Amino acid sequence: MSAVLAHLDAARCVSQAEPLMRVRGLSKRYGTHLALKGVDLDLMPGQVHILFGENGAGKSTLISMIAGANQPSDGWLEVAGHKGSFRSVAEARAHGVRAVFQEFSLIPHLTVADNITLGEEPVAAFGFLSHASAREQAVRLIADLGFDIDADAVVADLPRGKQQMVEICKAVRQSPRVLILDEPTASLSEHDTQALFALVARLKAQGTAIIYITHRMHEIPLIGDSLTVLRDGAQIATVSAQTPESDLIELMTGRTVSDIYPVPRGEPGQVLMSLRGLSTADGAVIEASLDVRAGEILGVAGLVGCGKSELGQACFGLSAIASGHLTVDGKSARFKHPADAIEAGVWYSPPDRKRDGLALMRPARENMTLSSLAFGKARGVWLRAKAEGELLSHLSSQVDFPQPRLDESVANFSGGNQQKALLAKGLAQDVKVYIFDEPTVGVDIGARQAIYKYLGELSAAGAAIVLISSDLPELLGMSHRLMVMRGGRLVSEFARADYDQHRILEQFFE
Amino acid sequence: MSTSTTLAAPAMVANVPASEAPAAWRQWLARHRQAVVLPVLFIGAMVIFTALAPGFLSLDNLTNVARQSVYLLIVSLAQLLVLIGGGLDLSVGAVVALSSVVGASVMAAVLQAMPDSPGLAILAGTAAGLASGAVIGLINGWGTSALRIPAFMMTLGMSSVVFGITLLVSGGVPIYGLPPEFGQLFGFGSLLGVPTPVWAALAVVVAVYVLLERTRYGRHLYATGGNLRAAELSGVRTRRVSIIAFMLSGVLSALCGLLLTARLDTGESNIGASMPLESIAACVIAGVALAGGVGRALAVVVGTLLIVFVQNGMNLMQVGAYAQTMVIGAILITAMALSRKS
Repeated sequence: MSAVLAHLDAARCVSQAEPLMRVRGLSKRYGTHLALKGVDLDLMPGQVHILFGENGAGKSTLISMIAGANQPSDGWLEVAGHKGSFRSVAEARAHGVRAVFQEFSLIPHLTVADNITLGEEPVAAFGFLSHASAREQAVRLIADLGFDIDADAVVADLPRGKQQMVEICKAVRQSPRVLILDEPTASLSEHDTQALFALVARLKAQGTAIIYITHRMHEIPLIGDSLTVLRDGAQIATVSAQTPESDLIELMTGRTVSDIYPVPRGEPGQVLMSLRGLSTADGAVIEASLDVRAGEILGVAGLVGCGKSELGQACFGLSAIASGHLTVDGKSARFKHPADAIEAGVWYSPPDRKRDGLALMRPARENMTLSSLAFGKARGVWLRAKAEGELLSHLSSQVDFPQPRLDESVANFSGGNQQKALLAKGLAQDVKVYIFDEPTVGVDIGARQAIYKYLGELSAAGAAIVLISSDLPELLGMSHRLMVMRGGRLVSEFARADYDQHRILEQFFE
Repeated sequence: MSTSTTLAAPAMVANVPASEAPAAWRQWLARHRQAVVLPVLFIGAMVIFTALAPGFLSLDNLTNVARQSVYLLIVSLAQLLVLIGGGLDLSVGAVVALSSVVGASVMAAVLQAMPDSPGLAILAGTAAGLASGAVIGLINGWGTSALRIPAFMMTLGMSSVVFGITLLVSGGVPIYGLPPEFGQLFGFGSLLGVPTPVWAALAVVVAVYVLLERTRYGRHLYATGGNLRAAELSGVRTRRVSIIAFMLSGVLSALCGLLLTARLDTGESNIGASMPLESIAACVIAGVALAGGVGRALAVVVGTLLIVFVQNGMNLMQVGAYAQTMVIGAILITAMALSRKS
């Protein structure tokens, strides 16, 4: 299957002046929240255009609309004579636009060969499928791309990195005009990364326009031609991919750190929680050691998937601890269930409020007081309307939640208010140690500010806080101390006086 | 949408909503669609049967409906508990039959051994019947929450197992020899002019209502069904919560089986077969979410009464049993279609 190389010569003749795809004013509105504000892009043939920005900056929203998985609220794109937007992924594909998302579109129980040929299966006599020629096509494609995958392996048995390669095989099989790669190297081994870069070079030579998302700074000058920085849904700048790293980070983070963060006020007191050489049974956390003191906010930074979330969960009884010690308030602890952890004085606030945090169709009031019925101020076998009411008015004023709407189901609220309801849950019982996992993910700046104020007050009142976040400016603004996690290990520690964005970011990568 | 025939309309027209400003009542209806379906169906059925079925609104007939609805009502409330917790109990019918056969066998055996103490026989039989329901519920709850077998398969499989046990115990024939007091008291007796089974059902309604609306367990059950993971992270021991829900379902179904046994004066293995569908129908018509986390006890009472009224009205109109089955299924599907969020 040499389709990838088939049009090589012809493609070289494509004029560099005319963009393959033009995007103008592309916007996406979710309710009142503007997730993407009027982005313009020109994708040139044979060039790699990098999208750069923090989590939640709008990169995923943008590519999902270009790939037809999502429809814009405003604006248009133009490719191969089609102007407007794509109503479906199939329509985008028909115009030569293919995407490799972080969530794969593979059928787990089929083999690699069956997955690669899915949808365009070779047919033998009498309309029956020809497994032999499907396999042959797949083997040829894989060899052609220089990938190291067994065509007969069942996809579910492959590690994530290999599944990623299969997904890429699928995407390039039909020689796309525009190829979107969303953090393709996040789960690839060194060898596979080299093979991917070689493929990108070949596709470039062939005249394919590539949109490439990465958080790995060192890949940018290596693979990119041009680069667009997104921040809070807005297009900040489009620059050359050779722009110095420090300038890019400044463009990415942008906002001045002191604006929205309260200065950490708490005076660190006695150690309330400590880990010594803690490893989880699933290997996500390896020999983690840390101390959190009363009145202190300890930041934990790192890339998505570095194990920082799992570290928080291990302290809350959500994953089995294989070795090491966890001590809470001077007592050695081994939690089997979150209930044990809350009883001992630890609270964990999960990153995904819809999946892990809130029962969406239940009223806000029930969500906010749920854990207090067993552990907090409304404790008791029977519900006590008065105690619960008092607790609720206290909670909503603390997190700035609209009190008259407490009876509405959580699903009716904006992301910011949902997040406040989630954080309010942690205040409903007396707990000494709080672990907040991405407490501001996907919320607007106003709600952010309220959440930071809440964190600041909590720490000033003497709580020990572990703040896990992928938002580095937030960690720099809020924490007394900061630790960086990489590959499941806590690799370095910075005191507030030594905060330096660039030096900390360096620690994210090997 | 305008039905203009101009084909050359500009390509970049934004999506225009179908109607510019929907009337306030339409907005209200759209938001409370689910809440409106049940009263509309209920009043509709009442009007139709009052007009078409002779004697539908007479006191005799209404007492009759109350007496008939007891059995389905208890099982529907059992189903409600499991549905709120995010489960589904297809074994309620088999448990009705099991408790009837187990309760009757124990009663008959104890009475034979001690003919002078029918009270003891009733007590022992009732205890055995309820215990059998609790055990089945325990197994259902354990299988779904600890082994993570989908509730649909777990309870479907259990209903077959339980039905087999029932046939094995009874040999497929009715079990006679119950103390006559059992039927007199719990089948045909009455207190203050209200039949005993109706009192039993009222007690169950109150108990389930209080459990759901006034206790911590109720809150935990709604949270478990609403978002299992969120409940777990809030310190709710969700496994315990759903096992208890299945056990309560088993005990309530067994109670229904015992009340039916008192009414029939025999232990029967062939009762309860229609209970799974009818109890789910009563819940779904009452707005209980099959995905869990949503449902109110009083709405299920109305949903059950609707089903029994429809059956009763059709009986009075002399509609055949076959057609009745069709109508119940059709009502269920209609209620689902009407309450879907668009």
